[in-house]
Amino acid sequence: MSNSKARPNDRGGREGNSDMHPELQMALLQAQTRRHFLRTLGGGLGTLFVGTSLAEYAGAATDAGRSETTSLDFTREPSSPLAALPPQFAAKVRRVIYLHMAGAPSQLELFEYKPDLKRLDGQDCPASFLAGKRFAFISGVPKLLASQYPFHQVGQSGHWISDRLPHLEKHVDDLCFIKSMHTDQFNHAPAQLLVHTGNARLGYASLGSWVLYGLGTENQNLPGFIVLLSGGKSPDGGKQLWSSGFLPSVYQGVQCRSHGEPVLYLDNPPEVSRPLRRTMLDAIDQINQQTYAAFGNPETITRIAQYELAFRMQMDATDAMDIRKEPAAVRAKYGSKPGEASFANNCLVARRLAERGVRFIQLYHWGWDSHGADPKEALNLGFADRCREVDQPTAALLADLKERGMLEDTLVVWGGEFGRTPMRENRNGQEMKWVGRDHNPGAFTIWMAGGGVKPGITHGQTDEMGCEIVKDPVEIRDLHATMLYLLGFDHRKLHYSFQGLEQKLTSVKPARVVAEILA
Amino acid sequence: MSNLRNLCSGNFRRYLRWGDRISGQLRLGLLTLAPILTVAVLLALLPPDGNERAEWAQFIGRFHPLVVHIPIAFLLLVPILELAGLNHRFSYLRLSAGFVLGLAMLSATGAAILGWCLGRSGGYSGPLLTQHMWGGISLAAVCWLCWMLRLSDGEQRSTFIYGVALALGVGLVAWTGYRGGQLSLGEDHLTEHMPGGLRQVLGLSNVQASLASAGANTFYGARVEPIFAARCVTCHGPEKHKANLRLDSYRSLMRGGKDGPVVRAGNVQGSDLFRRITLPLDHDDFMPKQGKRPLSADQVKLIELWIGAGASGTLPLAAIKDAPTGSASPTAVSDVTFEEIDPAEVTRLRAGIAPAVAELRKRFPDILEYESRGSANLILNASILGPKFGDSDLEGLAPLAEHITLADFSRTAITDRSASAIAAMKQLRVLRLMHTRITDSTLQRLGTLDQLESLNVFDTPVTPAALPTIAKLPKLAHCYAAQTAIPSQIAVPQPLIGKLVF
Repeated sequence: MSNSKARPNDRGGREGNSDMHPELQMALLQAQTRRHFLRTLGGGLGTLFVGTSLAEYAGAATDAGRSETTSLDFTREPSSPLAALPPQFAAKVRRVIYLHMAGAPSQLELFEYKPDLKRLDGQDCPASFLAGKRFAFISGVPKLLASQYPFHQVGQSGHWISDRLPHLEKHVDDLCFIKSMHTDQFNHAPAQLLVHTGNARLGYASLGSWVLYGLGTENQNLPGFIVLLSGGKSPDGGKQLWSSGFLPSVYQGVQCRSHGEPVLYLDNPPEVSRPLRRTMLDAIDQINQQTYAAFGNPETITRIAQYELAFRMQMDATDAMDIRKEPAAVRAKYGSKPGEASFANNCLVARRLAERGVRFIQLYHWGWDSHGADPKEALNLGFADRCREVDQPTAALLADLKERGMLEDTLVVWGGEFGRTPMRENRNGQEMKWVGRDHNPGAFTIWMAGGGVKPGITHGQTDEMGCEIVKDPVEIRDLHATMLYLLGFDHRKLHYSFQGLEQKLTSVKPARVVAEILA
Repeated sequence: MSNLRNLCSGNFRRYLRWGDRISGQLRLGLLTLAPILTVAVLLALLPPDGNERAEWAQFIGRFHPLVVHIPIAFLLLVPILELAGLNHRFSYLRLSAGFVLGLAMLSATGAAILGWCLGRSGGYSGPLLTQHMWGGISLAAVCWLCWMLRLSDGEQRSTFIYGVALALGVGLVAWTGYRGGQLSLGEDHLTEHMPGGLRQVLGLSNVQASLASAGANTFYGARVEPIFAARCVTCHGPEKHKANLRLDSYRSLMRGGKDGPVVRAGNVQGSDLFRRITLPLDHDDFMPKQGKRPLSADQVKLIELWIGAGASGTLPLAAIKDAPTGSASPTAVSDVTFEEIDPAEVTRLRAGIAPAVAELRKRFPDILEYESRGSANLILNASILGPKFGDSDLEGLAPLAEHITLADFSRTAITDRSASAIAAMKQLRVLRLMHTRITDSTLQRLGTLDQLESLNVFDTPVTPAALPTIAKLPKLAHCYAAQTAIPSQIAVPQPLIGKLVF
């Protein structure tokens, strides 16, 4: 790590600061921080007492020093920044398929069976549930709202599930539910950022980018982190959700399309042959190499690597994304229709990408924000459509992975960015025309399936209304730490120096691997 | 005394010229003054505050209890030598007294320095410790005073003051030592096991005796103490007492920590202990700290009920009726531990194969990788190369065959000619032959793979004829056999029941 960091420094030293590109000079100055100063200072003062007391005031100085001695080396050949690296310890899973339900699906209509809520349907919400809480839209005293759909028990685990997921319920014994997820964000964009980057603010590296940085990818002809969207809109958090943040931009997610060219402008334009394209790329490569020699900016290497990846992708990506190559029976199993930007198509593509060694596959399905303000976001209308859109493809994906033995070393995660209230939304204090629920950051449900996770169990518990967690709360950073553990990392060891801090996906707060759900 | 007077009156230069023999001893005295003052200043400016700090200071500090006995022995020896020397038969003993006093002064200073390191960095605090530390520094200062006084030329008055200082030193040894004993052994370590009769003579109560016998029949002993024992005492126990708080006995629990009592009988919300275990997880004061698992809801409830009922150490077990059951027993899953990588060990493990791995990784980039950074096991993912990987390529991997634990040949062009190459991978745990032309003849030769847990023949021409060999694999847990000539309704051999996945 120190080698790669020192490179621009050395170059700057040789050429003299006055010759240095102003931007690079600026970057170097910004890289020097109070922590560097204190660390140097701490080393200089050797005496026992001063050292001891200084360590206290410098605080992080000793911690930083300690972590550096045991930190993992993620340096790679500049020309192959995505080269695969072994995990820190033997991993349970080798790839991740993350199904994000943007807008926050209601756990009370899917997985959280609360008979007491049915009994109290339509009654005023007790004040104790409202005290000290902020809601996005609920005002005054809302009414409690029973689940809009009947529940029944399924599988050997006897899990309660609503009638909205008739296909997925066949796999309930493969799923591990966490019903005690919670977040501190109650708006979609920051909550999605928190789920995907570990931080509610912009500028942090996404989960997929961290995994790609830590493990690289096996298939150098495809991006290692692929993003597929469906549901008609991008998630509120936008492209920041798959951004590489402060990590080199080569680790960001590559958004692919489900129809036409998988990546825009990937194909050669008419009249341009593949050899001609190669000649052109070689010329561009030469210029870029000169730029890198002059400024030593690793982003130039990223640029070169991306051109080369795109060239290789012309063959492989088009093939991997083409679901017409799947037998009709398989397409029918997913309910997929080639040419649509549908969740069904994306699930099928996800399986094909997983088979080809793509490390992190991220699907977003938009439209779960069931406030009840219009039919499309009503629990009894639009919500049912969303369920239909994801139910069959999700089940088919699980079935395919299981049948092919890939569920052994693939981790599938399903969930939104927060939960929904047991109270019916009453925007402006009025009863609304359609039925909906407001945002509830206090408790939500996700499920995981695959390698290293106990199948058929439920972790955590909410109160009899499904409003707050009463047992085994799980933080977003705990989820991240658990996922990194399954991928073979101690979340504290997967870090990257930026702005003087060893940046981690799990941030500076303590995170815990949820050992209870590990197989 | 004239020495001191000379010093004080500024005749320092003249004093130094006074005699070579004395000035050496004086120089030592002056030299020792600096560390004594330093420690005193450090203690005044940076008093112990119950936080743990830099490891090395704590490491050195841990020698304090060892070193501290040296000045005790030396300083107590000085008056013995001096008094015995008053008898002219033993007058030669007085010649050694100065030497022993010098050793006492130096070792007392050293012990004070180590003591400050331990107190500052070891997570100690409280009035006991403050008294002990000032006692230790005073003792070093008194030793220094004795040393300086003894240099004097035998005036009546200075001899008297010397005697008084020496007596003060002995007194300080006793007092500081007692405080130190209280710190390490408990406040009542001298009277704790005092026989009952003697206790009555001294007017001490016998409450300890009744508590000791309470144990398992009390609510505290049966339900509350096990929670502390399982979740708290690693930091607040005999080994460490962070924030000067110990939860390993009822007495120390009720005594509290550096900020006073942590449990207020009958007042749940006013008890700092309860406040800290029920705060939001990311609060700085939350306990247990630093990502450790919070107490379970049942455990919190038990503590709440117990404090509410008066936080008694003798309350019978049955007195609280609606206490949650079973939670006192440690059924919870323990946290994961992360393997540390020892680079030397990894180099040793990989010594035999590293050159071959480096060589083959040049030929097959991206498909051959170590299982982890700490392992010499290999993962071979030939599926990345697809049809470009064939039988001849697999032959090239022969030198590493016995280190490969996962081999994925999905969609590759390998055929039954690779059977012996695969059979040579004795450590294989996972073998994937999806979408290949592998047939029964290969599978029938894989009976030697006694570590194999997962075998994948999805979409291959494999038939039920391969099943008897597969059934003999001792560790096999799953065999993925969809889209083969094996019908999903087939009656499988006994060991394979439930293991075939279609």
